[in-house]
Amino acid sequence: MKAEERAVNKRGILGWINPLHYNIERWAYVFQRVTGVGILLYVLGHLGDTSFFVGGPLGTGPNPGSWAGDLAVTENIIGHTILTLTVLIVVFHGLNGIRLILAEYGVIFQKPTRIEYPYKAKGLRTMQRHLIWVAIVAAILAALYTGSILFG
Amino acid sequence: MVLRESTLMKLQYVTAVAALVLVALHLLMQGVLFPYSTALSFQHVLSVYRSWIDGSMLEILLVVVVSHGFNGLRIILLEWRQSKAWTSWVNAGTLLAVGIALLYGTRTVVLAVTGAVG
Repeated sequence: MKAEERAVNKRGILGWINPLHYNIERWAYVFQRVTGVGILLYVLGHLGDTSFFVGGPLGTGPNPGSWAGDLAVTENIIGHTILTLTVLIVVFHGLNGIRLILAEYGVIFQKPTRIEYPYKAKGLRTMQRHLIWVAIVAAILAALYTGSILFG
Repeated sequence: MVLRESTLMKLQYVTAVAALVLVALHLLMQGVLFPYSTALSFQHVLSVYRSWIDGSMLEILLVVVVSHGFNGLRIILLEWRQSKAWTSWVNAGTLLAVGIALLYGTRTVVLAVTGAVG
């Protein structure tokens, strides 16, 4: 390798902390965890929210008044925005998770090949990369559809 | 009983696939198969809880999503730090959190099915 080429490729410590140098698989890994935690928080909120159908934590049975009060709090622009974002991250998390399971069992993993400069992860090409984009596009379409129902 | 990590990982994958199917059905029932306003009406929600198929699906969805979610959080926390004490605390905390969430969620389902309408 020529000295000039080495100098151009050298990122140093800044290269470690610059997220723009992550490839799409690394971003998918980060988002799988971030969306997972986000969905868990939503689920916990949803458990609390739906319990008002039976009057909340101290309720004893189905209660129309308590349910109407709950809907008055959640059925507004903020609640609908949270729901739309939840659908976005749920669809991405679900489809990207299927990709991870298929990769874990070697279904979509390419045969290992000799490592050559510039050290691109060859096992993560083609099918895996396509599936990440499928997850992203499907999540956006699902969120748009949800938004059209909630805000339409 | 102590489950091996490989068994827990398989459980994570099985619950992931189950959650994908059940969440898709749940979302379809909330705004596609029924209009959104109807899906949230008191009478409709009551009929969903009191239908054997839909009510059972809600309870299974609760078990699947809660166990998948908290096991996922456990995996993240164990990737973040590693020590015997940390692992024990995280595992115990996960079991406790799953138990509390399942109890609270199941209580809603049981009261919705059996409770007198107030």
